[in-house]
Amino acid sequence: MRFQQIDQFSAELKADTRAAVYDGSKKGHEKRTKLLYDEFPDPDRLRHIAGEVKQHVVENLDTYLPQVEAKLKANGVIVHWAATAEAANEAVLGIMRARGATKMVKAKTMVSEETELAHFLEKHGMEALETDLGEFIVQIDHDHPSHIVKPIIHKNRREIATSFEKNGLGAYNDDPQTITRRARNFLRHKYLEADVGLTGANFVSAESGRIVLVTNEGNSRFCLAATKCHIAMIGIEKIVPRDYDLGLFLNLLARSGTAQDLTVYTEFISGPKSPAQPDGPEEMHVIFVDNGRTEVLASECRDILRCIRCGACLNVCPVYRQASGHAYRSVYPGPVGAVLSPLLMKEKFPQKADLPKASSLCGACNEVCPVNIPIPDLLLRLRNRAKEENVPSPGTPPMGAWALLASQPTAWRASLFGGKVMNYLPTKLLPIPALRAWEAKRALPAWRGGEFRAWMKNRPKQS
Amino acid sequence: MDEKPAQAILTMPSSADREAIFSRVRGALAPLHERAPMPDYTTELAVLRQMMGNRDAFTIFSERLVRVNGIALTEIAALVARLREGKWLQGYCDPVLWPMLAPHFGADFTVETTYDRKRVDDYAFGITRAAGAIAETGTIILSDATTSRRLGALTPWVHVAVVERAKIYSDLPQAVAALGSDSNVIWVTGPSKTADVEGILIEGVHGPGVQIALVV
Amino acid sequence: MLNTERKPITGKRVQLMATCLCDAFYDDVAAATVQILEYLGVEVVFPEGQTCCGQPAFNGGDWVASRKVVRHTVKTFAGDEPVVVPSGSCAAMMFHGAVLEFEKENDLGEVEALGRRTWELGDFIFNGLGVKTWPGRFEATVALHRACHTRGTKSSPAATALLSSIEGVKIVEFGEGEQCCGFGGTFSVTFPNISAGMGALKLEHIRAVKPDVLVSGDMSCMMHLGGMAQQEGKPIKTMHVAQVLRDALKNAGLIKP
Ligand code: SF4
Repeated sequence: MRFQQIDQFSAELKADTRAAVYDGSKKGHEKRTKLLYDEFPDPDRLRHIAGEVKQHVVENLDTYLPQVEAKLKANGVIVHWAATAEAANEAVLGIMRARGATKMVKAKTMVSEETELAHFLEKHGMEALETDLGEFIVQIDHDHPSHIVKPIIHKNRREIATSFEKNGLGAYNDDPQTITRRARNFLRHKYLEADVGLTGANFVSAESGRIVLVTNEGNSRFCLAATKCHIAMIGIEKIVPRDYDLGLFLNLLARSGTAQDLTVYTEFISGPKSPAQPDGPEEMHVIFVDNGRTEVLASECRDILRCIRCGACLNVCPVYRQASGHAYRSVYPGPVGAVLSPLLMKEKFPQKADLPKASSLCGACNEVCPVNIPIPDLLLRLRNRAKEENVPSPGTPPMGAWALLASQPTAWRASLFGGKVMNYLPTKLLPIPALRAWEAKRALPAWRGGEFRAWMKNRPKQS
Repeated sequence: MDEKPAQAILTMPSSADREAIFSRVRGALAPLHERAPMPDYTTELAVLRQMMGNRDAFTIFSERLVRVNGIALTEIAALVARLREGKWLQGYCDPVLWPMLAPHFGADFTVETTYDRKRVDDYAFGITRAAGAIAETGTIILSDATTSRRLGALTPWVHVAVVERAKIYSDLPQAVAALGSDSNVIWVTGPSKTADVEGILIEGVHGPGVQIALVV
Repeated sequence: MLNTERKPITGKRVQLMATCLCDAFYDDVAAATVQILEYLGVEVVFPEGQTCCGQPAFNGGDWVASRKVVRHTVKTFAGDEPVVVPSGSCAAMMFHGAVLEFEKENDLGEVEALGRRTWELGDFIFNGLGVKTWPGRFEATVALHRACHTRGTKSSPAATALLSSIEGVKIVEFGEGEQCCGFGGTFSVTFPNISAGMGALKLEHIRAVKPDVLVSGDMSCMMHLGGMAQQEGKPIKTMHVAQVLRDALKNAGLIKP
């Protein structure tokens, strides 16, 4: 019997990987909830407003994009536009070549994961080093991040210690403190040797052109203190209308993502460094990346573009906790990924049309999302799209015959009584795969079709 | 890819992609009968008013800084004692601050007022001026205008930010309103940290492992 | 997005949507629903033509098939009395899911109208009829599982308030109450491993607080959890909220046995 790929992946997942993902997600979720509900009288109100602000941005990108471009230029930033992943990577390479640069230090940016920038640059003879501790470990391990905020949630310290040893970063030692110190000592010299610092952006204010970057480790600050050229790769949906809105969004992002009141480093960048400041980029580029976003915008799932990549929906998701991020075969796993990843595939949508099915539609993601994205509705829309495009879906029972039955009361009643046969036949023999899949894990209750209808007609009157 | 001459890239970045994106955005939005309006709201909703009560900004700031494992001090002597206790005897100091601080530092300290990036590992501490602070979150505000060296405030194990008591903003929205025209403002809330390895909190990843605010 | 605004209740006649699960397996849940409504003086009409709310196909992505069933349901439940459903999931299908899949259909208005008069049972009793406490007696430690489709609705608080007002009922909280039991309709058969993994966790949390009975407003969750527990050879007693309310009345002699 064939099941869905993600289910298969989950079944084969190593027990300690599942435990690591489960524990990490659960802890993150519980801390977040406690913080929000302890501190605010009505945290839901904040989520709803933030959602409205971002939906407004998404539906008015035609106004905001030119506005933000003009502000950035006025701030002395060179603005590039990249329709595709390839164009974005080429733009970075072009900037590096023009400067005679060969070494890049990279802060964590999901959009550069989308474009596989580091690979691309390495293929073209450039060094592109990840500096976020988790991303650095993923890079030296030739692995992939499995969470958008906690990239190595799937790894334990022993695996990390082993790969540090393999990569010449000291003899095996799995103490997290030692691991972190070794990375610190190795990376600080790399920053200072680098020519270019690459970051993403958490928000861009259309009003001021200010780019806001948050990190806990301070790696993006290091990129912007040590190098002379800053390149920011930014998805076109990252805009907030005003600086004023940052007072709301920064509060929500830190609490939702990492259960903090505020992320340790929150940097507001409105151009190259000030002339009197000795450290930092003299040149600054912003590359606005589309890479499928305009198709999402054109779809009925455009609400997903509100996402501020906090990861709260991953942490709370029971399917993510069981399956881990790699099960989603995408840069964006979990509930947000189940919507976004198939859409970003554009015409190759069918390849990831199974992702939206990996959900019990429990709605926990919607309940925690700081921008209140109705993720279950979007998953449903994509399931409908998959059906309309005739994408095969292993294990899903066909609904046509059922619909016929359920719209014909006489036939329905007949089958209610007829279903009794199930009580006498071992269901293993029945030619209904869904039934067998059910019974593999659970007992089926006795069939009592028609009993209620009979009772209703003959019931004893109370008065 | 084709080799593009440097100048071409700097002056005319990808105008075809720009047009393509803009026209796709317009096309995607054209069928919408109405656009979602901007909500009218106040960021006051996100302020931790209850936690702050009527207390003064400095009290809240020190309390919140401790919550994120930072240290708030008000006496230069206390700072010197801390540094000595941690055996952090060599460091960098903003030349503007040094005349005020120097008399309190003993001969056991080596303090430089120029920062040499080739000797990044030599500085155990860095002392720089802050542009202000945020009480609500225990945050120190650094800006290009007030911070003598971005690296000086970042690479040493200990960072000491000298904060003027009058420049402590009460909350995030106030601090956002005060961002001003500096091309780089950074809010620092406690020591640099990570929980990437098994969710265990480790401080001092790339930036300081010890964050001190000296409020004057 | 959740369309939870309801037409105010006038009159005391309702249509019962029994749900296909009760029709096929859980007749006593539907009967209990009728009994408690009648106890409250509500006249219950059962439209014989009813089948299913259309949710299986809706969740499966086959909206063409689902709309066919929803159209049938709209026809079957004609009129303007409240429609009461002993299931948060089927109720949500009527006021939310169906509306979503009819967005571009000409008969959206009729679907919305049905949605506006459809009530989940607990919500109807507590908020619709304004019955805030429940008489009778039911001696049991109760673990109340919040069905996912009642997130963000008034159903869960209603069930909690009603049950805890019953003499003898002791509600025990259990770990990770916000998590799904793993049923999810066709999800339970297309993702059997994940579904069972979720169910096992839920059972672990529930067993840890040693309830006498596991109660929910949705039999689908109970069918999954109860079925798993039975398969494991460690059955747990499951009940619908309506059954607890009905038994409380019975135990106190407030209705005929
Ligand atoms: S969808 Fe919402 S919860 Fe999930 S990552 Fe995006 S903003 Fe966070």
